[in-house]
Amino acid sequence: MAEILVVDDSKVMRDMVTACLRPDGNLVVSQAASGLEAIERLSLKAFDLVVLDLNMPDIGGLEVVEFVRAQDKLARLPILILTTRSEDDSRAKILAAGASRYMTKPFAPEVILAEVRALLETGHASGAG
Amino acid sequence: MQVDLREFRAAYLAEVDEHLGAVNALLHAIAGRPKDQAAPRELRDLMRLLHTVKGLSAMVGIEPIVTISHRMESVLRTADRAGGFMSERALDGLIAGTRAIESRVRQVGKGEPVTEPSAALLEALRDEPVASAGAGSPGAVAPTGASLDVALGPELSGKLTASDKEQLAQGTASGRRGLLVEFAPAPAKAERGHTITTVRQRLAELGEIVRVLPVAVPAGPGTPGGLLFTILLLSDAPAAAVAEAALLDAQDVREILAPRELPVPGRPERAAVEPETALPVEAEDDHGFEAQRGGMLRVDVRRVDDAIEQLSALIVTRSRLARAVAELREAGAATRELEAIVTDNARQLRDLRAAILRVRMVPIDAVLDRLPLVIRGLGKSTGKQVRLVLDSGGAELDKSVAERIFPALVHLLRNAVDHGIEGREERLRAGKPEQATVRVTSSSHSSRQIEIRVSDDGGGVDRAAVARKAGRDVPSTDAQLLELLCRPGLSTRDAADLTSGRGVGMDIVQQIVVDGLGGELALETTAGVGTTFVLRVPLTIAIVEAFVVLAGGARYVVPVPVVEEIIEVDARTTTRGPRVRGQESRFFARRGETVPLVDLCGALGLPGVAQGGVALVVRRGRDEPVAFGIDRILGQQETVIRPLADPLVSVAGVSGTTDLGDGRATLVLDLLALCAKLGRGKDRAA
Repeated sequence: MAEILVVDDSKVMRDMVTACLRPDGNLVVSQAASGLEAIERLSLKAFDLVVLDLNMPDIGGLEVVEFVRAQDKLARLPILILTTRSEDDSRAKILAAGASRYMTKPFAPEVILAEVRALLETGHASGAG
Repeated sequence: MQVDLREFRAAYLAEVDEHLGAVNALLHAIAGRPKDQAAPRELRDLMRLLHTVKGLSAMVGIEPIVTISHRMESVLRTADRAGGFMSERALDGLIAGTRAIESRVRQVGKGEPVTEPSAALLEALRDEPVASAGAGSPGAVAPTGASLDVALGPELSGKLTASDKEQLAQGTASGRRGLLVEFAPAPAKAERGHTITTVRQRLAELGEIVRVLPVAVPAGPGTPGGLLFTILLLSDAPAAAVAEAALLDAQDVREILAPRELPVPGRPERAAVEPETALPVEAEDDHGFEAQRGGMLRVDVRRVDDAIEQLSALIVTRSRLARAVAELREAGAATRELEAIVTDNARQLRDLRAAILRVRMVPIDAVLDRLPLVIRGLGKSTGKQVRLVLDSGGAELDKSVAERIFPALVHLLRNAVDHGIEGREERLRAGKPEQATVRVTSSSHSSRQIEIRVSDDGGGVDRAAVARKAGRDVPSTDAQLLELLCRPGLSTRDAADLTSGRGVGMDIVQQIVVDGLGGELALETTAGVGTTFVLRVPLTIAIVEAFVVLAGGARYVVPVPVVEEIIEVDARTTTRGPRVRGQESRFFARRGETVPLVDLCGALGLPGVAQGGVALVVRRGRDEPVAFGIDRILGQQETVIRPLADPLVSVAGVSGTTDLGDGRATLVLDLLALCAKLGRGKDRAA
């Protein structure tokens, strides 16, 4: 069993990602509707992987990544970033902040599922590169 | 298991609709600002919302919306780099882009193919080179900036952006306190529902949240260490009151910035922005939307409709039950207890119905908030100076009614700006201010109706010109004038102009308000002073007490409130009248009044002839009454009216269908609209 936290302020997006992961019965998916909620839940409970949107009010995905990486117990948590094509969200910036992998919307349901499984197997460090 | 993301289209539509509402409110806030005032927060919120729309549209495969929102984002990014300043051209482009996304969202909703953005739209959204930041670049807060840093302390100060600090400075300058709130999440608190999300929601109701920062606290002697949220809040309330209202300990809320002395009470920076535009406060409030969303539940309208469908089945069952009880009673059984249960059941069903219908209600502001941008566009295309004053009165109405009423309001605004408001010279000659005023006010007319008034301070409707155009005598009353205005294709301008031309006339407004929604339309106009259109529409889709009648051997449903009187008609006391629309008409005397008797089937243009032994007397407004001849009345019961899908293809006189419990669709008649149709037909024949 692996605990996944899906973080996005868009409910439809959270539900879509959850639906993409549902075919794998070993994944237990929880949702957080903001970066703040994500930080709170990560501090209260251990998760195996975070799927994180970049573009959120209050504190965005990159700030969540930076905060998570600054904490010892979360330093190796795999983080998969979801982004939409846009010149600002460069790959280098996302990975430099400490994300494990990133995917650009739109993506096929099978692809994100494969990406999550691979990341769960290999962990944070191997993905960044 | 195959996952198909297209299944999320309904949820996509609901969420994008909500985002577009927020986009409209932000554009409206930006449009209302003086040109030299930056709007960095609004720009960032817009960017985030459009980015979300873009991402969602990409996921469900609606590429044209991805393209448009991407272009809009680029325009916004340029403005953001220019320090939050946006050119008029850029703003117009964003407004056009929003309209274009809205129309494509409607296409998705109807299952139509989604059109690619036009070249003109993409040109309007072409990114322009960064304009020089110019006179009012941010940093005007320098005097308070230094003291702000001291008050915040170096650590906190370092984490805030320039626009956060400007917001704090402006907030305290307008008399609010800067409060520092700390919240340490814990499993026990989370179990009680006390999380950063709920704390944030409560604080948003008490003031304006400037920033929320997560802080990792290292473990130390006496403290377990962990996470701490630091929230900066601007509020009118003192720290202790905020702590209490947000269910926090008193020591967790500290005042770090005192309010500055106020030159005038209130919030001067708002008043100075544009004292003229009396627009709803919510639309200008940065955090209004976020705060509102806290307790809201987003529901796919189809789910609510499902519930209504189930409810209508229940109502049908109840009428069968009531009939069965009535039969038992007639057979001599003791039914007192049963009847009491049926009565209770009826009341409970009514309450349940009201509760479900409330779910579909949206604030009228959702419609009115879109009008300022319409006026802005009209002002630009006509060169007239127009200010719009909105007063929503806080009423709510059914979402489907709100959606249908919007095009009617847009048309009335076009009429007001185009035809109602005079040119500059004419206004000055008449001693009026050059800037014209258009007012849209709404109020709950009754528990069932909402009244919306669209007024202008223009020259009034030119009765003679309308009469000439229609080839009729000059009307003596406003009601007669309205009737002429509502003739298909009538326009008081000879040349089809940019906005009001193209054959779209008041007849469309009448069709939406009267025929489509079963409402009323009225006109009040005074030469030289102005014109007011009054719309009264039902707040909800209809479930009404109705008569079931037989006419020409077929069953129809007629809402009870419409019928003034049911009379028995004796053929010997009626007199023959002129033919109306090819139909023979008869008259009879009722309490000294002559009432025309019209065959219901004939009036509907349906086969069959009613026996005419019984007639339903209907009176439209202050018009003379009309009696519709039928075979007989079969009974009276509560019915759920399903409106016909498209008001434009509907038959005049038919407002919808209902199921009387036999699984077949029975037509629900709108005899008021039928009266109007007969009246218009009579005019044409004369």
